[in-house]
Amino acid sequence: MASLARADLESLLHTKNLDRTLTRFGPGGQPDREHASTGHVGLDARLHGGIPRGQVSELVGPRSSGRTALTLQMLAAATRRGELVALVDALDMLDVESAAAAGVDLDRLLWIRGFVVPNPGLCRDRNHRALVQAVRAFTLVLEAGNFGLVVFDAGEAPADAIRRLPFTTWLRLQRMVEAGSTACLLVGSDRMTRSPNGLSLQAAALRAAV
Amino acid sequence: MYACLHSAGASRPALQEIAQQFSPRYESRGDLVVIDVRGLERLFGSPRAIGEELRRDAADRGVRARVAIAGTQTAAIVLAIARPGVVVIEPGGEAAALAPLPIDVLRRAALLGPPPDGDPERVALQVFSAFTRWGLKTFGEIAALPPDELSARLGRQGLVWHAIARGADVRPLVPDVEDERFEASLELEWPIDGLEPLSFVLTRLLEPLSLRLEQRDRGVAVLHVALRLVTKHTHARRLELPTPMRDVKTLRTLALLDLEAHPPEAAIDRVAIVIDPTPGRVWQHTLFARPHPTPEQLSTLVARLCAAMGQDRIGAPVTVDSYRPGAFEMTPFATEHRNDEQRRTRRTRREQLVQNSANSAGSAFNVVPVFAALRRCRQPVPARVAADAHGRPVKVTTDRRGFAGGAVVRATGPWKTSGEWWAGGAGQAGWDRDEWDVALSDGGAYRVFLDHATRRWFIDAILD
Repeated sequence: MASLARADLESLLHTKNLDRTLTRFGPGGQPDREHASTGHVGLDARLHGGIPRGQVSELVGPRSSGRTALTLQMLAAATRRGELVALVDALDMLDVESAAAAGVDLDRLLWIRGFVVPNPGLCRDRNHRALVQAVRAFTLVLEAGNFGLVVFDAGEAPADAIRRLPFTTWLRLQRMVEAGSTACLLVGSDRMTRSPNGLSLQAAALRAAV
Repeated sequence: MYACLHSAGASRPALQEIAQQFSPRYESRGDLVVIDVRGLERLFGSPRAIGEELRRDAADRGVRARVAIAGTQTAAIVLAIARPGVVVIEPGGEAAALAPLPIDVLRRAALLGPPPDGDPERVALQVFSAFTRWGLKTFGEIAALPPDELSARLGRQGLVWHAIARGADVRPLVPDVEDERFEASLELEWPIDGLEPLSFVLTRLLEPLSLRLEQRDRGVAVLHVALRLVTKHTHARRLELPTPMRDVKTLRTLALLDLEAHPPEAAIDRVAIVIDPTPGRVWQHTLFARPHPTPEQLSTLVARLCAAMGQDRIGAPVTVDSYRPGAFEMTPFATEHRNDEQRRTRRTRREQLVQNSANSAGSAFNVVPVFAALRRCRQPVPARVAADAHGRPVKVTTDRRGFAGGAVVRATGPWKTSGEWWAGGAGQAGWDRDEWDVALSDGGAYRVFLDHATRRWFIDAILD
C-alpha cells in the first residue's frame, strides 16, 4: 500500500516536472547511476561504486580529518582512469607534492587557485568577492563539461563567507551538473549542499595523526 | 616528412606536374623536386606507400625517377641523388642513413643549400677540396667533426656542409606556389564602440575564413586581430592557439576575451583578421573511454578562467627539483591528451584493481593507503610556540582567526632543512629551518617550523 502511494506520488511529481527533487537513495534501493570510483575499494563498496556522476556531492569534516587525503585519492583515481579533473582551490592551499604522492597525474589536473584568505582582517568583503569569483570559476568548469571529477575545495574557508553566498548558487550548480556525467564534489568544514541523489560524506577527526 | 623526386633527364615542368598531384607544397630545384608529404598518410598509408605511389605516377608520365622520403628535406635530397629506387628513412634516422654515403654526393647536395658569399660552385669546390685533403671519405666522417673547429677553419659554409652531412635542414622549404593567405577585413560605415557589436563583425569575418580553412584542411595557429581606431592608431592583438582550430564560435570567443582584457582605447572603424595557418588536427575519438572536453572547449574555458581569475592562477601544477618546502610551478593546461595515455592509464587502473582486490580479501578498510596530505599556507602563519629544554614544541598558539592552537599532544621532528643560502642569505631567497609535525589538543595536526634566520615559529601547513 505504501509503495503504491509512493508510486502515485512519484508519478504526480513527474507530471509536474518535479521528480528531480526525489531522493531515491536508501532503503528503496540504489538507482541505476554511474559512479566515479574513489580509488578505495572499501569506500566504493560502502558508496555503491563511488560518488555519483551528474550529482553534487559533499565531503565535510573538521581540520585534519583526512578530507584532503581522500580528495586527492579521488582525483588520482579519476586521472588513472584517463579522465580530466579540475580543482577549484578557493584558498590556494594545494600541496603539489602531496598531490603527486597521492598518484594524481598532474598533467590532467586543471588547478584554479583562488584568492580567499583564512584571515581577511578588516577587509571582510574581500573574502566574499574572492569566494564568489571561485564559484564563478567552478561554474565555468562545469559548463565546459566532460571533466571526470570537479572539486570545489573550500575546506578552510571562513564559515561566514560560505554562508553569505546566495542559496541559489548551489541550486544553479545542481542544475548544471545533472545533465552531464561529471562527478562534482564540494569540500568544506561545514555542510554546504548536495544534489538529491548526491552524497554527503562526513570525515571524522583523526587525533594524534603524526 | 619530405619526399624528393629526382630524375636526371626530366624537365622541371614535368616534375612540377607530378608534385602537384600530391601536394600544393613543393619546391623544384633543377632536376629534382621536394614535396611536403605530411598528412598524405591518410590518403596513401605508410611513407613507403607514398613513395611507391610517387614513383608509379612518374612512370605513368614517362619519367624514370628516384624517390626518397625522410624527416628532413636534406636527407631526402641526398638519398634521392645517391640511391636508386624508393628509399624511406624513419624520422630521426637521417644521420645514420647518410653516414656511409661518399662525400662526392655532398658536393652536389651542398649546392642546394643557402647561397654562400661568392660563386657557389667555387666555394663548394674549396670546401670539398679541404675535406679531400683531410682524408674524409664519407658523410659520417664529416658529421663526426667538431662543428666549432670546422667553423673556425671553413667559415659558415663549413657549418652548412656539416649540417647537410648530418641530414639536417639548412633552409626551409620555399614552395613554388605561394601559401594561400587567410585574411579578411571590413571597413565600418560607423565606428563601433564596445565588444558586443564587434562580436558580430568578427563572426562575419571569421565565417568565410573558417570555411576556406576547412576546405584546405588547415587550422588556425595564430590569430591576428588588427583594429584601426578613430584616432588612426591600430590596436593589434596576437593570439597563439594551443591547438589548431577553426571553429568560428571558439575563435570569436577567444578574440573577444583577449580584447576584454586588452580593450582598444577608442572606437573602431576598421577590423582586419589575419590567420597563420597550420595543418589541420586529426582527432580520433574512442568508443572505450569517457569523452574529454574538446581542445576548443578547453581553450575557451582556460581563456575564460584566465579572464576571471588571472593568468597566473590557472594551469597544471608541476613539481620542481628543489628541496624548498612547498615549491611548485604552473604550466599551461594542455588542451590535447593523447589516447595512448588513456590506454596506459587503463592498464594502470586494471593493475591497481587487481592489487586492491587482492588486498581486500581481508578487511577492506584495513587497506587504506596512508599518506600525509598537506594543505599549504602560502604565507606561513606566525605562531607562538613554547618549547621544552630539547627544543621540542609543547604548546602552539596563534593570533590568527581559525587557528586556535593548544597543547601539543604528539610531535615528531625536527627535520632540518636549508637551501639557497648561497643566493642572498637565509632571510631572502634561502631558507634554514627546523620542521616539526605536531598534533594539538584542538584536534588539528600541523607542520610548524622554526626559522633560524629570524628565530621565529610559523605554521607552514595543515596535515589533513
